[in-house]
Amino acid sequence: MTLALLSVYVPQVLAQMLPAPALIDISQDCGLTISGKTLDHDSREVLIGATVYIPELDRAAVSDAYGNYHFHQLCQGSYTLRVTYIGYQQEDFPVKLTGSTARNLQLHADAKTLSTVEITGAHLKEQAQSQQTLEGRELEQTRGLALAETLKGIAGVTTLQTGPNISKPVIHGLHSNRVLLLNNGVRQEGQQWGSEHAPEIDPFVASEMRVIKGAAGVRYGADAIGGVIIVEPKPLRSVPGISGDLHLLGSTNNRQLATSAMVEGNLSKVPPLSWRLQGTLKKAGNATTPDYYLENTGLREQNFSAALGYNKEQFGAEVFFSQFNTKLGILKESHIGNLTDLLGAIARGKPSNADNVAFTYDISRPYQDVHHNLLKAKGFWQLGNAGKLEFVYGWQRNMRQEYDIQRSSPTKPSLQLILNTHTTETVFAHKPLGRFTGSVGVSSIYQRNVYEYSAFLPYFTGTTVGAFAIERWQKDRLQLEAGLRYDYKHLLVKRLENDRELQKPEYDFNNVSGTIGAMYDVGYHLTFGLSATSAWRAPGANELFSQGVHHSAATYEEGDSTLTSEQAYNFELSTDYYGNLRLNGTLSLYHNYISNFIYLAPQAEPRLTTRGAYPAFKYTQADATLTGADLSLNYTFVPGLKLESKTSVLYARNLDTDDYLVYMPSNRFDNSLHYDFGKIGEGSKVTDAYVSVGGVYVAEQKRVPTKSEQDYAPAPAGYFLLTAKAGTTVHFGRQPVEISVTGNNLLNTVYREYLNKLRYFADEPGRLIMFHIRVPFNFSKS
Amino acid sequence: MKKLFRPYLSAFLLGSLLVSATACKDSDDPEPLDDEELITTMTVTLVPEGKGGTVIATFTDPDGDGGAAPTIETMALKPNTTYNATITIADDSPNGAGDITSEIRTEGNDHELFWVANPSNLLTAQKIDKDANNRPLGLAATVTTTNAGSGTLTITLKHQPGLKGATSDANKGETDIMAAFPVSIQE
Repeated sequence: MTLALLSVYVPQVLAQMLPAPALIDISQDCGLTISGKTLDHDSREVLIGATVYIPELDRAAVSDAYGNYHFHQLCQGSYTLRVTYIGYQQEDFPVKLTGSTARNLQLHADAKTLSTVEITGAHLKEQAQSQQTLEGRELEQTRGLALAETLKGIAGVTTLQTGPNISKPVIHGLHSNRVLLLNNGVRQEGQQWGSEHAPEIDPFVASEMRVIKGAAGVRYGADAIGGVIIVEPKPLRSVPGISGDLHLLGSTNNRQLATSAMVEGNLSKVPPLSWRLQGTLKKAGNATTPDYYLENTGLREQNFSAALGYNKEQFGAEVFFSQFNTKLGILKESHIGNLTDLLGAIARGKPSNADNVAFTYDISRPYQDVHHNLLKAKGFWQLGNAGKLEFVYGWQRNMRQEYDIQRSSPTKPSLQLILNTHTTETVFAHKPLGRFTGSVGVSSIYQRNVYEYSAFLPYFTGTTVGAFAIERWQKDRLQLEAGLRYDYKHLLVKRLENDRELQKPEYDFNNVSGTIGAMYDVGYHLTFGLSATSAWRAPGANELFSQGVHHSAATYEEGDSTLTSEQAYNFELSTDYYGNLRLNGTLSLYHNYISNFIYLAPQAEPRLTTRGAYPAFKYTQADATLTGADLSLNYTFVPGLKLESKTSVLYARNLDTDDYLVYMPSNRFDNSLHYDFGKIGEGSKVTDAYVSVGGVYVAEQKRVPTKSEQDYAPAPAGYFLLTAKAGTTVHFGRQPVEISVTGNNLLNTVYREYLNKLRYFADEPGRLIMFHIRVPFNFSKS
Repeated sequence: MKKLFRPYLSAFLLGSLLVSATACKDSDDPEPLDDEELITTMTVTLVPEGKGGTVIATFTDPDGDGGAAPTIETMALKPNTTYNATITIADDSPNGAGDITSEIRTEGNDHELFWVANPSNLLTAQKIDKDANNRPLGLAATVTTTNAGSGTLTITLKHQPGLKGATSDANKGETDIMAAFPVSIQE
């Protein structure tokens, strides 16, 4: 586009309101250029046709089909670039021009025009603290995997496993009740303290998964010491019609079969009313290592969810219900009696029955049977010019049954826990006041736990109330944020001492969490973020009172009723290099200091039981630090061909014993090469084809405790796994069908992972190839 | 403004109703457990062939894991003597099932007891009973002593569902009860 053409686009109304032309000597020799892209601040998508206006010169340009704008023949001096675009806030960008320069202009979506969009929508860089989102094709490629496995693609996120079918997400070395899961706006409350208790969430519900790395206690409440995982379904349909999709999955190795279907609609007669139904079925049998089947490692899963929403511009309400049911087989070999049995299993090197195990879908003892119900009600109101008020209520019922191998063959479980949780949250987000945006809120949690068949975890009733305020201030390239939260927790425990005498100890915990952060946009596609955040966690009932044998670990675990809260302080420096033609990336350096970190410390004296001697562990507190770095880089060689590289490094120390912390993820490097074919010919039936080949290298964990014997077997050797993916969309008439194939451990490598609790007993699964078909459908009248 | 809060109020009331509905059961207290799987006691009865008195040694932990430590009695044996030894297994906890030896014998195909002397020349123990598949069981054994001495006799009951083969293997399966009896052999 030429400048002559562009001048036509100057809005008349603006031209009339123009100040007098700035006093710049236009006769001097001026040959400078300023150019760049107009972008959406959050999605980084280019904005086509945005008006860029320089009031000082009374000149304007419109960004072209690639979002590019140009001004030529400028003189040195200070100018203002005023950018306007429909649906976005008008913004002024001051520039001091001393030479030709490139400058990208980022616009913020106008809150008014987007008022019906949920505030939980993806804002890539809303906070100074690191967060990463998995969505779109990247998320589709993980369909069929468990929730934690899905998140493995994010630098700094690993998994803690118990065999091939039980996994938990680990963020920067922390997991279980130090990582908060926000499912559909409600904090997930299962028995998340257990290292072999996987999150009870169907990943097919999500259209987006966001991970906040590091302590994030202020917005999300106590316990978020390691980070927060936000699982969000897509907003309900807002256009009349019916649409949905169907997934079909099948895999080799454990011969997993899965299907998931979703139907949603919006009533043309009652436009604010929308609904959605969704369900998933999953079945897998014994997984296989390169050499043998893993006995009793199948799984079953049946989930469904339903949502109904009534949304208008000024107010809206939504009801959501979901049920998650799973039966998870546990490697038979791992059910052992005492330390002698464990050492026997380690010495054997493979399960004693390995050569006789065949493939089967049958699951026998030991296994877990878990049911999780979630009922959520949500409402929002736009309070005129004041802001937006939102209320969320959630009820969850979690029933966990564990069936151990028993001498006789009864039908009853060995352990049953039922946890009922009610949560409420009320948040008021005020309209921007000058340069300030922010929100205040109150929340409550009421939960009650009962057991049957085993008293490993006592009866307890917990009540938590909290209040928070967060404000953001933004001017030009600088954004500052600060937040404060107070929480109070009451815990009433009921337990039978020696299975007879009823005791009712009570606890009160309260604490403050805070956050401060700064973000600075240097220009040249570079942003710096600096944040200091804190979170605290009250000791759980298991840490206070658990007492007994932990079978698969062959340990005797003992709680300590005098434990106090742990408090984390997280410092992070991040740089973001984005929007560039070739090289883009993010580097995050973090340091997490946790005072009174609760962990299982080995005791000098083993505990003698009728089944022999067990190493004794007691919940103990110490100060700990977790320091590390996450680096994500991608490099585009030619359009379509891209190298993605991710590196995570973590050093975790126990300051009291001056030793490494046990069970921390080792260094890992993940590299892959992607090629997008783009459109193959004009009017082709095949679109969006891609292939990718990659590999993950996991180093041997050399940072293991040395001063006290905490592990029964040395950390396994490092390993390399080859992966490959390919996919495309085939169009049958107007009906698209997405097809993809994913291959894991393609070289059939024999390996063991340090963070798999069953590494003492068996190898990891071998080669796995997964096939995925997705059929989207749409019955809109258009 | 009032109108705006009406749905909020009803949602809140609904919420608190649900809270109180489940809160009603709050008065419930935990009940003592009935652990059908617990094994607390192993008793070895050694009857000498010929002259001499019967020796009975018991290993027991009636309050289960934790609490008071298990108690264990010493086997006082005579040198150069052959004993017919039998084992009884019991759950002697407060609500326990009592003697469960017959239950173990019935499920003999999935169980085996292992007798290990330390030092190994302290005594010899020869299992004399068989399970339904004619494999060793170990609830009964012939114990033979030679010289005077002292050491331990560790008897382990292993649960080996589907793992029991033609030859005995103490490393397989899960330990149900393990008792290390001090042994003293003297005239």
